[in-house]
Amino acid sequence: MNKASSALSGLYLLLILFFLYIPIIVMMIMSFNRSELYLLPFEFDLVWYQQLAQNDQLIGAARNSIVIALVNTVIATTLGTLTALCFARYEFRGKRVLQGMLVPTLTMPWLITGTAMLMFFFWSGIGRGLHSILLGHVALSLPYVVIIVGARLRSLGVSMEEAAATLGANGWQTFWRVTAPLMAPGIVAAALFAFAISFDQFVISYFLAPVGTSTLPVQIYSAIRKGFTPEINAISTIIILASMVLMIGFARFSKFGGER
Amino acid sequence: MTSSARRLRAIIGLSGPTALWLTVTVVLPLAAMLVFSFLTVVPVGGREAAFTLKHYTDFFTRPLYLTNAWRSVRLGLEVTFFCALIGYPAAYILAKAIKGRWREALLLLIVLPFWSNSLVRTFSWTMVLSDNGLLARTIHGILPFAPSFDLLYTYPAIVIGLVQSYLPYMILTCYISLQAIEDSLTEAAYSLGASRFDVFRRVILPLSLPGLIAGSVLTFVPVLGAFMEPRILGGQQAIMLGTLIENQFTASFNWPLGAALGFIMLAIVLLIMGLFYPVLKKHISVN
Amino acid sequence: MSAVGISNVAKYYGKVAALDDVSMTVQDGEFFGLLGPSGGGKTTLLRAIAGFVEPDRGEITIAGKAVSNIPINKRDIGMMFQNYALFPHLTVAENIGFGLSVRHRPKAEIAERVRQLLELVRLSGFEGRKPKQMSGGQQQRIALARALSTNPKVLLLDEPLGALDKKLREEMQFELKQIQRDVGITTVFVTHDQEEALTLSDRIAIMNGGRVEQIGAPRDIYERPRTAFAASFLGTANFFEGVVSGRGDGVTRIELPDGQAIFTTDEAPAGARVTAAVRPEKLLAGPVGAQGQEGRTNTIQGRVMAEVFAGNSVTYKVDAGNKPVTVFVQNRTDERFGPDQTIALTWAPYHTILVAA
Repeated sequence: MNKASSALSGLYLLLILFFLYIPIIVMMIMSFNRSELYLLPFEFDLVWYQQLAQNDQLIGAARNSIVIALVNTVIATTLGTLTALCFARYEFRGKRVLQGMLVPTLTMPWLITGTAMLMFFFWSGIGRGLHSILLGHVALSLPYVVIIVGARLRSLGVSMEEAAATLGANGWQTFWRVTAPLMAPGIVAAALFAFAISFDQFVISYFLAPVGTSTLPVQIYSAIRKGFTPEINAISTIIILASMVLMIGFARFSKFGGER
Repeated sequence: MTSSARRLRAIIGLSGPTALWLTVTVVLPLAAMLVFSFLTVVPVGGREAAFTLKHYTDFFTRPLYLTNAWRSVRLGLEVTFFCALIGYPAAYILAKAIKGRWREALLLLIVLPFWSNSLVRTFSWTMVLSDNGLLARTIHGILPFAPSFDLLYTYPAIVIGLVQSYLPYMILTCYISLQAIEDSLTEAAYSLGASRFDVFRRVILPLSLPGLIAGSVLTFVPVLGAFMEPRILGGQQAIMLGTLIENQFTASFNWPLGAALGFIMLAIVLLIMGLFYPVLKKHISVN
Repeated sequence: MSAVGISNVAKYYGKVAALDDVSMTVQDGEFFGLLGPSGGGKTTLLRAIAGFVEPDRGEITIAGKAVSNIPINKRDIGMMFQNYALFPHLTVAENIGFGLSVRHRPKAEIAERVRQLLELVRLSGFEGRKPKQMSGGQQQRIALARALSTNPKVLLLDEPLGALDKKLREEMQFELKQIQRDVGITTVFVTHDQEEALTLSDRIAIMNGGRVEQIGAPRDIYERPRTAFAASFLGTANFFEGVVSGRGDGVTRIELPDGQAIFTTDEAPAGARVTAAVRPEKLLAGPVGAQGQEGRTNTIQGRVMAEVFAGNSVTYKVDAGNKPVTVFVQNRTDERFGPDQTIALTWAPYHTILVAA
């Protein structure tokens, strides 16, 4: 490839990055700007972060989001890892059915998943609430855990476990000394992903949130719809930085982009 | 205990909880949705529900629904088209022209926004697109006499926001299939006398088509169901199939109608998935 | 006492027999090779001995004890895997000490054993490294040390040198044999490489299609193959098909379809259709008419079709009565044969071996 076309290629990617990041960067800058109407010149101020610290509604919603994301991470990672192990180890009737059950939340619009949950939970008496939001979030993150941990298991193959058995290790010893440590990076990656899915999830939470309590994205949405305040910029800046940090962690553990 | 009984116990122990969880959160809700879409009201609190096809016949007879369903499909097609148009060349550059740590870093930079909060990202566009937002000010800075410029709450604003949302995903799926094409294949084509254009059209494009198709389907489907992005960026232009469905659940509380509209949307999704199933199988494999 | 006994073992995958009534005995301290093409059943047999494959029929014994009900981890075997299967998260020392560690041996004992084994495989000083930091040859030696760590009753090697390049493989062949002899451990190994089988094995079992074709010392199988498959898989062979037309003077006469006749010291009833194998290096090539002792020596004539120069020898492809015959000629004199030249090929009757087709 010659110099001119490689410079052009670089410029093209730069433009794309610009397109992807410009709104986020503008929002972040505005969160530090004193003017409520986003007027320039830029005047650095933490006033919106100070107001945010006093906004009990947003803080309460943030607390709900974090708690749900944490519980979701524990449940989804555990169930998903067990399922990935089961898929890797056993051929059984019903395996395809179970795999099929993992696909809808990955491929259907969340609008459908969310409204279907709303109707069934309401009709069956499970009802709305943080508990049903948790039910939904786990259903969304489970498939990703199965995929991520499953990919790790497949890349490991069975020979390491076979080697442990020939060396005299029993099932537990093989699992705890060989399988688990080798799976660990995949599990950590999956857990980070599951946390992010739940923490960022808006659609499902929106339909399942009861009046009064909600998660952070739902709270932000209603603030935006009501005519927002720059506090939203401040909390959004925090959220976006948090989820990017999570995802960089995920990329590290899942060897995103492939090994060279 | 026999070995087959032990096996069965292991299988149930390992995947039983997941199966149960997904039954409650996915299988039963979808079944309930299907049933409710044929009822006059949702049968709770002693209300009598009767069978009806009204919600489905309404969809096909009342222009409001058909028009908006078509608007959603069109939005999906447009967003998918722009994502592919912009994303494929970017994926090609990443896969073939950039090597080593740079490639990994750039790929991560591109995908990061996709993995971060979509609501917040959509919201951030309002600051760029509004009449005294960044875009308008930049343009007026260069051309002071340009007419007033307000993209926010227009149809293009929805498209811009959604393209930004799904572009990273399109780039990623295209990149995966482009990067799997070994250089020796293109070298072989050159050695047989193919021009750069021939190589692209007859080797690279056919081999990367599965990634392009997968990216397109997996962009189209969520855009079809989008309601938050149109609401935030589209203003009066926001009415789509997605927002109509949302409305049935959050404002007009006609759940059976919402369920029927949801199933019509699902039918479109399934049709497209079925059409491209052989290509998609690889990309959404959960085994 | 036999170290490993296989009797009438069969294993089916669906209707396909991966192992079809296989029987063999491996002696104490023996280096025993399973040789065959892929799909021949050799890997299935090795994995059945290890316990990864459960035979449908038959019995496997290790040190005289039937093992069918003994799980893999209690079988007291050492196995080296094709890709080595070294634990990437453990150090070299932890890899080698793994077997003793799961047996809850004291730390000092494990450390001492690891030290001994690293000395044996000439890798002292690498205890703290991770397997990924080692070269292919070094990984192979670590895998060997790990397989030997628990003093197993039998050592199983799956394509032990398959992942190494040619030069390293030749070095390691020698070293592997040396270590095996020093330790004195019964070893069963799988290979598809005939040279590896010949150099390493005390005895070889040639397997094809799930069945044992022949078992014997490398030299015996090479010189007296019992089947056409054994003759062609281990080395190269020319095959002659013909009808037995008489016996006398200690030799059997076989008439070939083109009217020429060859002789063998093997016996066969008159009138029988037989297949005879002759190794290319046993043939002596020369100009027509220079041969003497008719009747006791085989002589056939043929036309030179191609010549391939290989340094220390020359390979001629000769058309002998519409039948291609391969001849290796040592590069000892200046004598060469041109294309289309008719030459005579002679060999002793005991080099004509009757094989099952």
